[in-house]
Amino acid sequence: MKKPLLIISIVALILMTSFVKNSTKKIEDKIFILNGNISSLKSELGDVLLEYNYLSSPKKLIAYQSKYFENDLIKIDITKIKEITLNKEDLEITNLINKIQTHE
Amino acid sequence: MNNKENESIVLEEYENEFSYKKSKSNLNIEFNRVAFIFFVFLAISIIYSIQLLHLGSLKLNFNEIKPLINKINYRADIIDRNGNYIVKTVSTINVGIKPKEIINKKHLLLMLNYIYENRDFSKIEKKINSNKFFYLEKNINPKRYEELMLLGDKSIKSEESLIRLYPQDNLFSHIIGQIDDNNNGISGIEKSFDTELKKIKEPLKLTLDTDIQFLIRSELLRFQEIFRAKGSAAILMNVNDGEILAMVSLPDFNLNKRETIKDLNYINRVTKGTYELGSVFKTFTIASGINAGLIEPDTEFLDSKKNISCGKNHSIGEYDDEIPSDLTVEQILVKSGNIGSVRIARTVGIEKHKSFLKSIGILGKIDFDIEEVGKPQKIDWHEGCKLETISFGHGITTTILQLAKGYSIIVNGGYDIKPTLVKKTLDKEIKNKKILKNDVSKKMNPILRKVVLEGTAKQVNVNGYQVGGKTGTAQQARDKKYSKIKINTLASIFPSDNPKYVLVVMLESPKTASEYVYKYRHKKGSYKGSPYNTAGWTSVEAAGQIIEKIGPILATKYIEN
Repeated sequence: MKKPLLIISIVALILMTSFVKNSTKKIEDKIFILNGNISSLKSELGDVLLEYNYLSSPKKLIAYQSKYFENDLIKIDITKIKEITLNKEDLEITNLINKIQTHE
Repeated sequence: MNNKENESIVLEEYENEFSYKKSKSNLNIEFNRVAFIFFVFLAISIIYSIQLLHLGSLKLNFNEIKPLINKINYRADIIDRNGNYIVKTVSTINVGIKPKEIINKKHLLLMLNYIYENRDFSKIEKKINSNKFFYLEKNINPKRYEELMLLGDKSIKSEESLIRLYPQDNLFSHIIGQIDDNNNGISGIEKSFDTELKKIKEPLKLTLDTDIQFLIRSELLRFQEIFRAKGSAAILMNVNDGEILAMVSLPDFNLNKRETIKDLNYINRVTKGTYELGSVFKTFTIASGINAGLIEPDTEFLDSKKNISCGKNHSIGEYDDEIPSDLTVEQILVKSGNIGSVRIARTVGIEKHKSFLKSIGILGKIDFDIEEVGKPQKIDWHEGCKLETISFGHGITTTILQLAKGYSIIVNGGYDIKPTLVKKTLDKEIKNKKILKNDVSKKMNPILRKVVLEGTAKQVNVNGYQVGGKTGTAQQARDKKYSKIKINTLASIFPSDNPKYVLVVMLESPKTASEYVYKYRHKKGSYKGSPYNTAGWTSVEAAGQIIEKIGPILATKYIEN
């Protein structure tokens, strides 16, 4: 009685392992394909980012500014920069310079 | 008859030795066969199971799936601290012709003439006739590549190659450096990180900020032109961790042109050029005295002479006769007194002052991320009046980078830092060692602030940033004599209550600018034309304009939560 049970359990285990392995293989295939896609998207992203970095570089932006706008760029006075913080559903507007000073 | 009668047939029972029996041994053979087959199957199933378990436990290394990066000329990209590309490797296509495989020479030339309207075809014809492979066009654009391929001539060969692109042109030239035709770094980061760049798959992240670098460079260019300086340099560094946010040396060069730079004027003035930097060293003299516990900011030095002599026929005087003879330590720095600095240095003594300068990294060659670093000249401390001249920054050379490092240590609480261009990963963060006494920064920071409020650096007092600093106007040595050519420096720190950044601006050989209008920062009004070509009228003004521009970015982008 014990022997058939042993044989059946071994065969069952082998079958189960095969099924599990089969399903993991399918997942691995999917991951492989996704990974391939990510790799090509990464490469595309790199090229787009390079283009973006070039077109939005400070040098280009200054050139566009002088070409399309009449007014010169102005320097921001730090004492006029405000900071907005959300405090219990209320918006708090404080001077940035005060915050720096309290940090000191 | 009797004999016959006596003859009897004796039938003996013949016992055959062979008889069929259901013996126990036969049963054993049957069982053994079944057991044998069972164990064979069991063994096979165990082997199969082990194999399955082994395969199941294997992790798929997805990095291996990625295209191999051992392509010729591969180098990792370089990005700034915000992920913007500073250097990018891109693949391009080169197209060439193998004349031996040309199907119809006349037809090919005609078609090439149609595609390349402005090319000299006698040269191409010559190359074709030479029967050797040649490149028709390198880094070809996709449209032209398609046109050439549509010709369908098998002699047209294409190959993929990788090239280095520098989207910011000149902006980081001295930092990034160049590579040679064999893909080896020959200067800057490209050289010092050559092996890493060929191996790593992710981009190399630097501590630099493209926007800040651009703003500093554009201001330096502007003031270099205004003051007709031979060259200029600036460095912005975090005083607490040594991360360099911007490092500019002018003149610079366009990395995309890949030119061979031989002109010495293109030296990296921040790291390679060593200079006598003058009065910016007075800060070190006073910090050295405070660190040794020999002086306090209110310690008085009374009855100082206008001129003192030391060594053989060496006389030291004040640059300004109006400097009082009675000064406190604080006033010595605010008024930039030479004699006061000499007296402090004498109080400290050679050994202690030498040890102090060594500890903050002023003496000797600095260990840095790029190899282009200058070596400060060796000092014979017992020669003539070395200690005295060193107290106000003469007879001692160092680099702008080391000056920034020294100021950082003095104002950051006395912690040693290692200036760096490469962003560290979190696990590599090292706690900096404390090398100066606690009270050095506490006492020095207000004095540096006072120099800006009352001293020679008023034009850098940009509202809202609490800038502190010290100016230095040093005459350059030419043929072992001091010339009229100046090195004007401002070493500034901000905010002085709890310094976060050090900004050093240096102009080499600046002249006065008669047309430039100074808008006063300490009072109302303006002033046209610079009366002197000293640091207070040149590099201080440049630094003020730089802080005004980069300040809002630093305050909003890098504010600690």
